[in-house]
Amino acid sequence: MSETEKAVDALSEMNLGDAPKQLGENKEANLSASCKDIVVTIGATVPTGFELTAADEVQEKLGSQSRISKDRGKIYFEIPVIDLPQVHQLRSVDNLFVVVQEFKDYQFKETKEEALKDLEDLAKKLPWTNPLEVWKLNTSLKKKKTRQKKGNQHSNTRKQKLENDIKGEGTVEGLHDPLQNILGLESAEIQDAQKTDEVMPPNEDEQSDSKEEVASSDENKSGDCKKSEMEAQVVKFRVTCNRAGDKHSFTSNEAARDFGGAVQDFFQWKADMTNFDVEVLLNIHSNEVVVGIALTEESLHRRNITHFGPTTLRSTLAYGMLRLCEPQPADIIIDPMCGTGAIPIEGAAEWPNCFHVAGDNNPQAVKRTANNISSLLRQIHSKESSSGSKPIDSIQWDICSLPLRTGSVDVIVTDMPFGKRIGSKKKNWDLYPACLMEMGRICRPRTGRAVLLTQDRKCFAKALSKMGHLWRKSHTIWVNVGGLHAAVYLLKRTGERNEETKSKW
Amino acid sequence: MKLLTHNMLTSHVRGVRPGGGFPLRIKATEVKVNNVDFNQEFTARMVPKVEWGALVEAAESLGHRGDLPSEPIPDYESNEDFLRKVHHVLMEVEVVEGMLKCPDTGREFPITKGIPNMLLSEEET
Repeated sequence: MSETEKAVDALSEMNLGDAPKQLGENKEANLSASCKDIVVTIGATVPTGFELTAADEVQEKLGSQSRISKDRGKIYFEIPVIDLPQVHQLRSVDNLFVVVQEFKDYQFKETKEEALKDLEDLAKKLPWTNPLEVWKLNTSLKKKKTRQKKGNQHSNTRKQKLENDIKGEGTVEGLHDPLQNILGLESAEIQDAQKTDEVMPPNEDEQSDSKEEVASSDENKSGDCKKSEMEAQVVKFRVTCNRAGDKHSFTSNEAARDFGGAVQDFFQWKADMTNFDVEVLLNIHSNEVVVGIALTEESLHRRNITHFGPTTLRSTLAYGMLRLCEPQPADIIIDPMCGTGAIPIEGAAEWPNCFHVAGDNNPQAVKRTANNISSLLRQIHSKESSSGSKPIDSIQWDICSLPLRTGSVDVIVTDMPFGKRIGSKKKNWDLYPACLMEMGRICRPRTGRAVLLTQDRKCFAKALSKMGHLWRKSHTIWVNVGGLHAAVYLLKRTGERNEETKSKW
Repeated sequence: MKLLTHNMLTSHVRGVRPGGGFPLRIKATEVKVNNVDFNQEFTARMVPKVEWGALVEAAESLGHRGDLPSEPIPDYESNEDFLRKVHHVLMEVEVVEGMLKCPDTGREFPITKGIPNMLLSEEET
């Protein structure tokens, strides 16, 4: 067993809450001292505008201070290698990478040739050793998890949850749904980054393939380690370059190509754009250059949702929005326009000491929410938890006439229709004020709060000015949702008594 | 639908008297009892938030009241035994299929697969 594998063993044992204790301690002692002592810088991409929220989470869960990059949507923090599994449990991060080196003020040469030559030379000088150790550890962690999943069903890692999500049988169901197809077509007009969320291709062949692989590695564990060593002999890699700023003489493709060439020469790795083991990241933002190695293959934002709808919100953004309103124990948190339920489901998973209600007027949306809730429950079942239900319910209702007692809700968190893929700007002029009024009625005076996401900022501002007696704006965060410039508003409910504001009664 | 959710639900049919439409009567054809992790702080803090009478009535109508008292007992915050009873009724008893009936207008709202449909037609609002 290699040093790395030993370390992985130790790490995963600790991660399993129900692993026998002495065994865990034993393995921990095996963890090589050198590996344990390494402190690395982890970079994480987060929904833009939520850098502070993510930094808060890192502080709370890992005890590390984060630096917020000038390049929006990224944070950096240092951790001892031993904390790597916990990093994968963070809810507000989309993608993770380990930093090889960071240059705060990199001087690019004027001509393209010289600038690219510098990048080539850079590849040889970078401190690759520790980051590559982390990458190895990370890869083995991932392998370990797949193996455990097949073997014993009770691992409690998030990553595994993600895999379960993707493989959940329900994925296929939603696609056969004619209404969803219609909605899918409508929304196809708007091309944006989030579009991939709308359809999850049901790839059953791939599913069974990966299962077989897992099964075979399970059968001969001794051979497994040899196999991975053999694989390690021909490492396949790619370089992904992200460039922003207008003072560069080269394109991101040129930078990736030349830097990648140098990496290939240096390590004798093989370039492969689609089927790679290592993904080297070259992030250039004006004069800031960060070289990193990716630790996630796919964004973590898909974790809870198995039944996607036309405007499914990223779970990382949902987490950020919930965190903004600082949920207190026994808070009643509702999403009156829940769509596929991304927000309440994230809420029920992360704040089980609150009660979450998901509502929508669309029968399809309510059905998808219910399916997503049952997927969440299945995951929990597989973790050997005794509970058969979560603090969450769904209801079909109309946002402008909510069937809820006056002042019975503590927190409202919702993604309001943008008027693009769902609804229209014209409708929003009536909808927004009516919404704010009704939300004001059901929300508890003085302590109640609301976190609302919308792209229709003009309309929202107008509506809010009319409802100043009910809602006070305390905070605005600018976010990028699938390429649309949107805003998240944190509103506090004023002390005005609800009775006076009743529209109907 | 858990009884905690039911405790918040009102009917909003036009013509309901102020503060009326509550509590909705439950006509259940399928009820399920799910095990939910007990959280003492959650339950204790929830007691003052619920309409106690409506909760007792709902639990009674489903035959799951047990010996839940008609008023919260004094010093309930520290009484685990009492709070477990409340937890059971609030969180574990679920109506899967049935109807909710407005006490004032008699309008019925169907519950299917645990989801109440509270939508009204345009004439009703």
